[in-house]
Amino acid sequence: MVHKSADQNLLGELRSFLGDRARDGEFELGLYSKDGSVLEGNPMIVCLPVNTEEVQQIVTVCRKHHRPFLARGSGTGLAGGAVPVGDPVVIATAKMNKILEVDLQNRIAWVEPGVLNLDLSRELSPLGFHFAPDPSSQQVCSIGGNVANNSGGPHCLAYGVTSAHVLAIEVVLPDGRIAVLGDLTAEPPGYDLRGIFVGSEGTMGVATKVAVRLTPNPPEIRTLLLDFADVRDGAATVSAIIAAGLIPAALEMMDQRAIEMVEAFVNAGYPTDADAVLLVEIDGLAGGVEHGIEVVRAVAARHHVGSVRVAADDAERDLLWKGRKNAFGAVARIKPDYYLHDTVVPRGKLVEVLEKVYRIADAHDLIAVNVFHAGDGNLHPILAYDSKEKGVLERVHAAGRAIVTASIEAGGVLSGEHGIGLEKRDYMGMLFSAHDMATQDLVREAFDPDGLANPLKVLPSGSRCSDSFGQHVPDGAWV
Amino acid sequence: MSQRDAMQQEVDQFAKDVGASDPVTVVGGRTHWQVGGLPEPEAREVRAPEGVWAHEPEEMTVRCGAGTTLGQLSEELARHGQMVPFDMDANATVGGVLAVGRSGFRRLRYGHVRDLVLQIRHIDHKGRIVSSGGPTVKNVSGYDLCRLLVGSLGKFGCIAEVTLRCLPIPETTQWFTGSLDPFELHKKLYRPSSILWNGLQVWVCLEGVASDVAAQAATFDFEEAPGPPPFPTVGRLSVEPRDLQRHVTSSKLACLAEVGVGIIHTNEVTHSRSIPEVNLSLMRELEERLDPNGRLNPGRQVLNR
Amino acid sequence: MTKVKLDLPISTDDLSSCVACGLCLPHCPTYRVTQEEGSSPRGRIALMQRAHHEGAVDAEFIQFIDSCIQCRGCETACPAGVEFGSMMETTREALTAQTHYVPWWLRLGYRLLGSQGALAAASKVLAILQRLSLIPRRFSLPRIPLTQKPLRSSGSDVWLFTGCVMDAWMRDTHRAVQRVIESTGKAVAFPDKRAVCCGALHVHAGLGPDARRLAARTIEAFPGDNPILVDSAGCGAQLKEYGRLLGSESARKFSQRVFDVHEWLAQRVEDLPEVDLTPPRIAVQDPCHLRHAQRVHEAVYQVLGLYAETVPVDDDGLCCGAGGAYATLHSEMASDVRDRKVEAIERTNAQEVASANPGCLLHLRSAGIAVRHPLEIVDTLMRKGE
Repeated sequence: MVHKSADQNLLGELRSFLGDRARDGEFELGLYSKDGSVLEGNPMIVCLPVNTEEVQQIVTVCRKHHRPFLARGSGTGLAGGAVPVGDPVVIATAKMNKILEVDLQNRIAWVEPGVLNLDLSRELSPLGFHFAPDPSSQQVCSIGGNVANNSGGPHCLAYGVTSAHVLAIEVVLPDGRIAVLGDLTAEPPGYDLRGIFVGSEGTMGVATKVAVRLTPNPPEIRTLLLDFADVRDGAATVSAIIAAGLIPAALEMMDQRAIEMVEAFVNAGYPTDADAVLLVEIDGLAGGVEHGIEVVRAVAARHHVGSVRVAADDAERDLLWKGRKNAFGAVARIKPDYYLHDTVVPRGKLVEVLEKVYRIADAHDLIAVNVFHAGDGNLHPILAYDSKEKGVLERVHAAGRAIVTASIEAGGVLSGEHGIGLEKRDYMGMLFSAHDMATQDLVREAFDPDGLANPLKVLPSGSRCSDSFGQHVPDGAWV
Repeated sequence: MSQRDAMQQEVDQFAKDVGASDPVTVVGGRTHWQVGGLPEPEAREVRAPEGVWAHEPEEMTVRCGAGTTLGQLSEELARHGQMVPFDMDANATVGGVLAVGRSGFRRLRYGHVRDLVLQIRHIDHKGRIVSSGGPTVKNVSGYDLCRLLVGSLGKFGCIAEVTLRCLPIPETTQWFTGSLDPFELHKKLYRPSSILWNGLQVWVCLEGVASDVAAQAATFDFEEAPGPPPFPTVGRLSVEPRDLQRHVTSSKLACLAEVGVGIIHTNEVTHSRSIPEVNLSLMRELEERLDPNGRLNPGRQVLNR
Repeated sequence: MTKVKLDLPISTDDLSSCVACGLCLPHCPTYRVTQEEGSSPRGRIALMQRAHHEGAVDAEFIQFIDSCIQCRGCETACPAGVEFGSMMETTREALTAQTHYVPWWLRLGYRLLGSQGALAAASKVLAILQRLSLIPRRFSLPRIPLTQKPLRSSGSDVWLFTGCVMDAWMRDTHRAVQRVIESTGKAVAFPDKRAVCCGALHVHAGLGPDARRLAARTIEAFPGDNPILVDSAGCGAQLKEYGRLLGSESARKFSQRVFDVHEWLAQRVEDLPEVDLTPPRIAVQDPCHLRHAQRVHEAVYQVLGLYAETVPVDDDGLCCGAGGAYATLHSEMASDVRDRKVEAIERTNAQEVASANPGCLLHLRSAGIAVRHPLEIVDTLMRKGE
């Protein structure tokens, strides 16, 4: 990692309004060189703004110096979306963490981008509401990050992803202007700029305020744990539950290795001898919940379920979910490093693709662990490895590519919720034609003709009309 | 020839119909023909392909030609107990409804249909097929152009093929009516599908298992209703839900408001709201890039003139 | 940019045990205040990794390492089981040994804790200054007694560890704890002056050799096999760590005899007397070293719950900012951290707060919170209900 010393003029200008919240210390810059992925870049300067005006000033100064910039939330992204490439200025929005307004009449809340997802839901809870998207990292991921990635989570099966829960976004555009995309009405006039901004991974500007929809807390919630002696029965149960006309609030699956890891962390009584478990949550009014439980029991019985455990109280339910939501980190208990993939396949192809995933991992001498949103076919194969092994990263990348290929061949997509970022931008051609991507780039370009906002993300270099300064992803970025 | 090839052929044919030069306008069911103004008379009329091409009940997804009518679609889906809650004229086409971008009257529960759009293949201004989104129920691969196409009145491209997420048809759907405070109902009912209010009377749609519908209805002084009342059709207002009451009570002509959503169907003539300057410039940039010669659906305007 | 050399003796395996998922961030009190990566456990491990790799550190490194309260809230949050506490202790020890990280006057202060005579003398001076109103409030000292009656052993069923500052300033808490233990029919023995200080503050400051010396002396003060009970969560956590700190078999055996007093009482709830009183509503603040280090905080609820309606503070056991000497050395950060705790305590609507660690007690009291040791509350209720 080579540290390029900061452009002193640029730094001076940033310090003139940020003071010591513009940083260029070598050790500190290193802290912002990565996100939750294995990729790494190099920030030139890190800025820690506290309000929209400061973000606007930062963007304006960057533009004057023709310096790329990128926004960073909690840095938990898994596709390298917040990895700084091209020596950009990092705009860390973590200090912008206020819930500005809770408007119960409109059932929205205006929040700053650094507000943590779970903090928001906890704050809303006494009022009887929550923010529906709940990524596994929800205790730490930020609303700004959720907007950038159009994040999902287990409960998006029933409630939809972030886009369905964001009404309006205040944005500092790459040219330094401030716009509010969308509004609090049902049908804002003009084109849906809000819709295209959500999920654009910071390449269209920096979100500085977000109006999120408040979802009423369900009166009844029941969580069931089903275990299966054969992972194929588990997967078939998933399809059959959906085919029976039931959309559970969440429908998650864990394979045998995942169960072991998770149980070691939470001691929730996950059956470590099972080949797979399903975590099913049903919410709503009492009658619908009871009916749902009956449907699940009946369907599971037809697919040789071992036992069906219904969480007795909130504490037990929380414990089961704690296991699920901490599964990725718990991988470190078997290997020090992991690579987490995110693809979606048709539910009917789950078994087929899962088996391929195991075969691919075996062929590359890696350990595959599967814990995923089965209800919407969103696979999260984890490849566990030890980076100290020679040549292991090449094997990890080769296996990753093979898994993505297998998913696309099965009629799936590149990413269900982590985004494309840096990780998958060169895979985009698997799903889209050159012309599809060129059209996407036209849209991006309307927001950022100079390509300063989070450059080199989402679209592969060749597809861009205005490739940022002829920069390329540095080789080192893959380590 | 396989079904897949046949469908591809229809999309290819539509691409040819749209072509690369001269003004074209897409015709659907003509149910919302006036929205955004009439197309210029010289624009050549084209029709998107029709037909439900792939309904996979276990996946809860359906792919169809954009020219498919809502009637055809719901008939096909209902065979497997599923639906897409468009709640509009059965003669309207899927592509037309999406291009207009309006939501149905059960939006309170099901959200905007744009959130059920998974994949769109459209024909761009040069007559080329562009695909965006993906066929699975969850997807964040690349920029989601589907969002832009919904509500674009065909100014960015002509929608050829659509993949939608379906929902199960609820066991019970029951409308109720009474003279109640609609805002109180909105607070107290759990996920009602619709609350309509004309300033005097309320119509509520409750869905789910029969026992839940009955239990929720029993807590209020309701009587059953055969369905929603007729919707005033002259104008349509979109306001913040908290401003709904003020608009309804000050309305001179008949209106019907979607409580909790903020749509008001009215017999007054309404005007489109102005767009903030910065947003307008971004939208013009998009138009400029996606249809530089303005040949797609000329005459129709999403942006204020 | 000036860098100083630092040889960080942490293994690559330990350093790479963090997968950088970030789940620790919201459980870190200093990250909660600053929202800066360097003030988070994930950031601090990344700093250690870089220092290890480069063999040198810069000023920001030292500042971020120094700002850690060592509450270990990240450890219970970590799905990968990263042992952050010991990595931080090793880093501090390396900094102390190889740089001017701990200034002379601070080293002197820590030495004082290890000498009963000097501590008593210094406490007396403080007590006098206090009565002359010469000590600023922000130092958050309790009212220090001018004279102290000695503690009296009542037998030899269990030991009660008394410690340094707590014994000098809060001896009445020990007396209350002794009465509660005796109410179960067991007699309490106090150690001689070799058990003057557990050495926790020294470990936190990176004064490893001092800590090991104090540990060896403390072990000598507790002959036999009887359980050693501790009424200070911080001291208890440290005594339980002696096995690891000294690496000897005798130290490991010693550590196995150590119990937090609530942990021990929770096994004997049926021996505790019943009282006939309306239970007061008491908020329970879990000291980090009870919840995250010893992981026995539930015991406080079991014991106190017999006499009071206990209400947990709903902040996932986030640190209050006391952190031993931290509240004195980093008073601004400690007070910012405490603000969040005070808000959470106010949400409980409790009459009083219970906290089983002297550092937390002092720190919360100086914010105007009515807080006592759980067993002082139990003692009062028992006597009232007699």
